[in-house]
Amino acid sequence: MTPTTSAVPILELRSITKSYGSVTACDAVDLRVDAGEIHGLLGENGAGKSSLMKVLLGLVRRDAGTVLVRGEEVALDSPQEAAELGIGMVHQHFSLINALTVWENVALGDTGKVNKQAICAGIAEVSARYGLPIDPEARVDALSAGERQRVEVVKCLRRNPQILILDEPTSVLTQAESQELFAVLGRVVQEEGRAVILISHKLAEIAQATDRVTVLRKGRVAFRAVTAETTPQLLARQMVGREVSLGDEGAALGLLPVQRAGADGGEARERQQPVLRLAGLTVVQGGVRVLDDIDLTVGAGEIVALYGVEGNGQAMLGDVLSGLVVPTDGTIEVAGSRVDVTRPGVLSKAGLGIVPEDRHHSGVVLDMSVAENLTMKSLNEVSGRFLVRRRAMLAQARRLADEFNIVTPSLDAPVRSLSGGNQQRVVLARELSGHTRVLVAAQPTHGLDVGAIEDMYARLRRAAAEGIGVLLISTELEEVMALATWIAVISSGQITGALPVSDATPERLGMLVGGEAA
Amino acid sequence: MSVLDSTTTILSSGVRLTVPLAFAACGEYLAQRAGAMNISVEAMMLGAAFTSVATASATGSATAGLVVGVVTGLVLGFVHGNLSHRAQINTFVVGLVLNALVLGLTSYLITTQQFTSHQVGVLSIPLLQDIPLIGEPLFSGRWPAYLLILLVPLTWWLVTRSRWGLELRAVGENPQAADVAGIKVNARRRQALLWCGAMAGLGGAYLAVGEVGSFNQNMTAGRGYIVIAAVIFGAWRLGRTLIGCMVFGLSDAMRLALPALGVTLNPQLLVAAPYLLALIAMLLFASQHREPAALGRPFQRGST
Amino acid sequence: MSSVSLMNPDDLGRRFLARLRPGRDGWLTAGVTFALVIVALGASALLLTMNGASPSASLSAIWDGSLANSTGWTATLLNAAPLLLVAVGAAICASAGTFNIGQEGQVLIGGLFGAWVGLRLALPGPMMVVAVMAAAAVGGGLWAGLSALMYRFRGVNVVVSTLLMTFLAIQLVTFAVSSPWLQESAQGSSGIADAQSNPLPASALLADFGEYPSLLVNAGLFIALIAAAGAALVLSRSRWGFRVRMVGLNPLAAKHTGVRVSVLGGFTLALSGAFAGLAGGLLLASPVSPNRLQAGLSDNVGWDGLLVALVARNRPLIAIPVAFGFAVLRAGGDFLSATGVPYFLVDIVKALLVLAFVAPPVLVSLFRGRRGATPSTPSPQPVVPTKKMEAAA
Repeated sequence: MTPTTSAVPILELRSITKSYGSVTACDAVDLRVDAGEIHGLLGENGAGKSSLMKVLLGLVRRDAGTVLVRGEEVALDSPQEAAELGIGMVHQHFSLINALTVWENVALGDTGKVNKQAICAGIAEVSARYGLPIDPEARVDALSAGERQRVEVVKCLRRNPQILILDEPTSVLTQAESQELFAVLGRVVQEEGRAVILISHKLAEIAQATDRVTVLRKGRVAFRAVTAETTPQLLARQMVGREVSLGDEGAALGLLPVQRAGADGGEARERQQPVLRLAGLTVVQGGVRVLDDIDLTVGAGEIVALYGVEGNGQAMLGDVLSGLVVPTDGTIEVAGSRVDVTRPGVLSKAGLGIVPEDRHHSGVVLDMSVAENLTMKSLNEVSGRFLVRRRAMLAQARRLADEFNIVTPSLDAPVRSLSGGNQQRVVLARELSGHTRVLVAAQPTHGLDVGAIEDMYARLRRAAAEGIGVLLISTELEEVMALATWIAVISSGQITGALPVSDATPERLGMLVGGEAA
Repeated sequence: MSVLDSTTTILSSGVRLTVPLAFAACGEYLAQRAGAMNISVEAMMLGAAFTSVATASATGSATAGLVVGVVTGLVLGFVHGNLSHRAQINTFVVGLVLNALVLGLTSYLITTQQFTSHQVGVLSIPLLQDIPLIGEPLFSGRWPAYLLILLVPLTWWLVTRSRWGLELRAVGENPQAADVAGIKVNARRRQALLWCGAMAGLGGAYLAVGEVGSFNQNMTAGRGYIVIAAVIFGAWRLGRTLIGCMVFGLSDAMRLALPALGVTLNPQLLVAAPYLLALIAMLLFASQHREPAALGRPFQRGST
Repeated sequence: MSSVSLMNPDDLGRRFLARLRPGRDGWLTAGVTFALVIVALGASALLLTMNGASPSASLSAIWDGSLANSTGWTATLLNAAPLLLVAVGAAICASAGTFNIGQEGQVLIGGLFGAWVGLRLALPGPMMVVAVMAAAAVGGGLWAGLSALMYRFRGVNVVVSTLLMTFLAIQLVTFAVSSPWLQESAQGSSGIADAQSNPLPASALLADFGEYPSLLVNAGLFIALIAAAGAALVLSRSRWGFRVRMVGLNPLAAKHTGVRVSVLGGFTLALSGAFAGLAGGLLLASPVSPNRLQAGLSDNVGWDGLLVALVARNRPLIAIPVAFGFAVLRAGGDFLSATGVPYFLVDIVKALLVLAFVAPPVLVSLFRGRRGATPSTPSPQPVVPTKKMEAAA
């Protein structure tokens, strides 16, 4: 099955360089993909994977380097040209238009007259060939996350691409759906001789699904190998650039931890005094029960994980706990007393801190200073009757910045100028300041590099050790296994099960994620 | 005058006042579906009204005036498009400035220039124009009015059936996704503004060399804003937008006609009616999010 | 994911405001601005020449009418005060991320309320003028407040509703001045005479300081200057201003920290209307108008004030010199029209100048972007929970 390397590769990138100002996203990257293989592109966030693919799709122009398709040099100046060359991509986000129907979405990017019959026939044909049923007349906003992914795949395959790029395709899929997708990809390469580039930061997935793999690190190719001849540990080491322990780092990279969180604590099953209790929490939006009767308890000093694939209500739960959305039904208790969530800011007053899923969404104000961001929740403490006391604000900010090792040119610098990891620390520092009893961390390591992820793990553990109850909302199996003492699983807005980590196995969790009782 | 006659008079006047609105509304509707919110439609109408009269006066041909009016609208659409959807200056600012500029420019020029009066011809459809009540209003108008029969279906077809329109709608709903699909977002919006400019120019020119025959200072008197109100009133559907134009045109006609008929109805209320109705429509429908999701949002690649 | 499809109808405004923040390339921007100003003035001069007027004579007429002597200064300062008030209001609500473009109507409604109080109430001494000003502010505030309520409860886009409300305001005031409400007796037999209210009593007028023919300074100017300074202080230093900025820059983060975002946003919109209304009161009660309510009372002060805020990039203190510059054009334009060049020339110059000031920062950043500097990462547009989401509660 190992592809032959003698033939002309279907795609070859030579010394591709792309920089944005002083930041070099891709530095002389070489990549060779053969027909009939699934080629894994592995790298941490910011390693240059997306920039490379944007070059390949004609979305950004490379600064230097050549691209050869079937041995011929091509310019790749526009998405249209990429499409004509048979390069197609299944995007992770942002590529379907909610207000249009499936067939209209599929037709976008074509040229010539819009022929609905032909398009629908094409969809039906591709659907049937790969076993991916979709209704072409449905409006996209009525589809589930999995169905949208299916539309993406069908849309891409209908164009009959010779090179298929998938960007983190499984983040919205259950394990079963992921298997289905990989089965389709297997047929695409083996029976039809196309090439697939699978972009992922998940080692397990790369190891399972790809034939060859290229590892990017800091914009350069760090390693390339035939997947079967390598090990996840080796890949992990190449990805990070140093030896990787099997503990946190492994978890951060998507290797199952050998040591589980509950293991050292002996009988960790005994629940602690609850500091956060959600009872019957329900949010109905546009007739859909986005959160459906959620019951969840977090005890003092515990780390409880809420695990599930993306798009099953976690974002809404984060919004509810951030005080952005008032639930339709149900109650929230913090530190034993019920919180009237209709009033703004009461959750945080009651002692609930939250690191939101997307920190730019509600976590930080990018154009305000580090000091202002650190003190915005405790504004009254640093203000007089009317004016903000600048000295008091800076003093408090200085204390937090020191305590949380926030690296910033100055406390007056806008948060926008900080790195992702430091922005995340600003959020964490602010949310843990004061009398926090519960910390909700929603995808706290999303988009961070390994060092920052480890730091985040250590801080979450320390918070728990100090008696704070931690609710970790995560889509990363390895992360929840490494950190949590209890794991609850969410699927379609419902809790499908909760179990101590000692009873948790990937298989049991996988079944729960798929909505089956385990 | 019999009730029938006076109704016909009001209807005729209403139709005449509706036609310019309808032309411009076809343009504004298409532009807004592409996410381009341009309040400069007032400038396009007013500018076209002026140049059409100036051209007609210079050449003696009202038809030439009509053509130059369309070109004027195109030029303004081009300017607005490049300022807002290339240079990325906020579309409301550009609109406000263009409206002020064109109002100032035309007002200034009309005080220094004298124009002779020219008007396009009336085209009466035999037989049909004799239908009682609606015959004269609908089938005995200035000939460019009949262009609506062509342009309204064309606009509808462009937006809902053509590839260009599909791409426009994609751009209006989710420019990021459209960009990823290889659609040149800002180019589409500029093109939409060209269409809007041409149609608004036709509307303005029709008003000047079609109905009135001359130019007077600020002669569009906020009709561009009424067109925007009509698109909102129509909840971004072409049919309903045109119904809005008709309602607004008729209320304008009634304002003009009723005093002569001895009916006392508050004229201010009738002038305010379009805005009031648009506001009421928004109060009823705004929360249903019928507007294109990216309406008025600038697009730059790389920004989410 | 869920929130992607739920867009804040007021996002247009916020999007727009995001573009008005000061750029980094100060000098380049200044240079481009200077060049564009020259182009704008050159174009205006060309227009004059083409129509047989002399640009230099026109320029000196504008100078004579505005800055050459104390009468000119008096006129300029009278014009500056209402412009500044409108601009300060626009700046405050822009800081909170709300874009109000209905100041023209809010000015008129302010005038209407002020006129009603001034003509209907008889209060002793200085109470009278205070009552007129307060009523004007309340009027403008209520008018803008209607837009705020429409947004709060029905999600109606603020930009569009404030625009439409302007036209309603014009008709409302036209109606009011032609009705007997504000007139002691009916208009008389002519009927078609300019519809206007009775003149306000002297006790309802703002005081002038100084002695004709030397410089006269109307009390309104002090009101406007105090408002500008106060707004600058409050926005940059106060707790309330901190929250306002937070709402403007990231409403979700603000909501998370306990700010009542929709209440604060609505309040700043009403406040901006109140400033515009107060400007209407100033127009009514200072010598810049005949001290009567007319449909033409606002005379584009609302639009111009908005443009002042745009040019000043929503900074109240910068708005002071900008408002002064606009006032020079307005006062000079009045004088100019007496020399036979239509006042409209000033409108053209104003529009071109606004473009010359608004365009450069965007052009510069575009230029930088093309050159491949740090990929401009404009703040991801925060998505505010919509009414629908809140209604789910």
